[in-house]
Amino acid sequence: MKNFWTRIKDELTQAWVVTLKDIKVYYLRPGMIMFGFLMPFFMFFSFSVRREMAAGEGMSRLLALTIFFTAAAAGPFIIPTERRLGTYDRLLAAPMSLFTLLLGKIAVGAFFAIVVSSIAAIVGILFLDASIAQPALMIVGIFIGSFTFSTMGLIFGSIPTRNPGDVQMPSTLIRWVLLFVSGVFVPLSEMSTVARGISYISPLTYAQDLMNHAVLGTGELALWLNLSVLFLSGIIFLLPSIKLHQRGRVLGY
Amino acid sequence: MSHAIEVQNLTKTYPGSGDGFLAVDQINFTVDRGEIFGFLGPNGAGKSTTQRMLTTLLTPTEGQILVLGHDLAQNSYPAKRQIGLVPEESNVYTELTAWDNLMFTGRVYLMSKADRTARAEELLKDFGLWESKDVKAENFSKGMKRRLSIAMAIIHKPALLFLDEPTPGLDVQSTRAIQTLIRQLSAEGTTVFMTTHQIEEANQLCDRVAIINYGKIAAIDTPEKLKQTFQQVQSVEIAFTSSPEGLKEKLTTLPEVSTVLKIGDKWRLYTDSPPDLLPHLMRFSEREKLDIVSLNTLAPSLEDVFLQITGQQVGSVSEGPSQQKRDMRRKKGKQS
Repeated sequence: MKNFWTRIKDELTQAWVVTLKDIKVYYLRPGMIMFGFLMPFFMFFSFSVRREMAAGEGMSRLLALTIFFTAAAAGPFIIPTERRLGTYDRLLAAPMSLFTLLLGKIAVGAFFAIVVSSIAAIVGILFLDASIAQPALMIVGIFIGSFTFSTMGLIFGSIPTRNPGDVQMPSTLIRWVLLFVSGVFVPLSEMSTVARGISYISPLTYAQDLMNHAVLGTGELALWLNLSVLFLSGIIFLLPSIKLHQRGRVLGY
Repeated sequence: MSHAIEVQNLTKTYPGSGDGFLAVDQINFTVDRGEIFGFLGPNGAGKSTTQRMLTTLLTPTEGQILVLGHDLAQNSYPAKRQIGLVPEESNVYTELTAWDNLMFTGRVYLMSKADRTARAEELLKDFGLWESKDVKAENFSKGMKRRLSIAMAIIHKPALLFLDEPTPGLDVQSTRAIQTLIRQLSAEGTTVFMTTHQIEEANQLCDRVAIINYGKIAAIDTPEKLKQTFQQVQSVEIAFTSSPEGLKEKLTTLPEVSTVLKIGDKWRLYTDSPPDLLPHLMRFSEREKLDIVSLNTLAPSLEDVFLQITGQQVGSVSEGPSQQKRDMRRKKGKQS
């Protein structure tokens, strides 16, 4: 039993080491800044211009967008880049489980999203005069949402390829599709029945509703449902990543 | 005592068009502990594929791999703790300093702070990188990156080190430094498994070599024993004061000569029997009024053995048969 706990402690240490290294190496790379930092703000401003929107509503959307785009940007950028440079082999050959390695990579995207969302929250409070109905819930939501969407980004990063460009295109495309079917720009209450049904497929819908609860104090869906769906999505998204990595070892990536 | 590496019926078929490409075909070999083992072969022969399977980076299609007594298919963790890997490309983190690269690797291998700090200092000094320890690796030369990559691979003192093409493209000083390091590691008890194109390097460094060709082990032995097996590739190397036109054709017609190659200012004449060839050569030089500058008889080199085994004529690259055999491997991959 002692060995088991020692191993768990070792693996968590290794995941943290991978995270710290990636933060140092990749956070300031142009790809991360473009897709992880600038894109959510561009998206927000391009859809918000000339639209009547309360400060709290705008902030809730901005938070959902930053969590979604920023967290999901790391995986598709970092892993193919490391595969191309051969540094990923160093990690795969190291004495740690695949799950540990993926956990480290998930944390990289999640922490990036937490930092960028915090900036978004500060911008909202200071410049939009937004008030937060439930600050603790907002923090919990940012944490859970960041980890979930980072795990989603990891699926794209796990596609066996050494070219980041092969991954960026499908990952961006799918993120945009999810963005448009979710209740970010058109609130759930204003959607048709069919559109609303489709929106329930996207985890971003639940992240947006969770942020509505946190910032505005009200949402369309139950709070427990939002939290549960986001948490479970994060776990479910891990499965294709593991499968794709196993496939990569068969194909030679 | 178990072997450092034991490989049984190892096969790798890459999925692809049709039923895939058979890269490694039922190979068997062992590597003893403390040995420097060279894995030679032409491009596409299956060297890197084999090494990637031995280091858990690639899943075999068939067969068993025991590394330091641990079955990789059952539990690779204990083996991974004891191996180091230096891939062909120096995979250092160029955004990090040499020191940070080593600290990161030491932490991944769960070394204590005191251990990794002391070991990093020792390695950086040994590898001539101490003065550059706080310089980002992106500013390093190719040789410095290579040395740092090796230092990262051995920071945890692995029992088994895998080196993929350790020296190509490096200057003489870096090559010598790395070769000296490999010998030192071996003397300290580390098993070294190296894949290489550099036949002479393998000849100088390796206790044993395996030659892989078209996915199969074609030969495996000590370099000297392999050379003895291929006595038919002995040669005589001769340099004349001048090389008149048509000299090669004339040399080729001499009795006992199978192949003639021009190597720099010298001519190498391959023969089964150098003693029988020498009188013919002397008469030839008198007849053609060519003064001899130097004359040496040469035993077969490991390169000659390699070329014989891989089916290439000495001094030439035959693409035709290689392509045919590659096509056959694709076919075989489809059948398996």
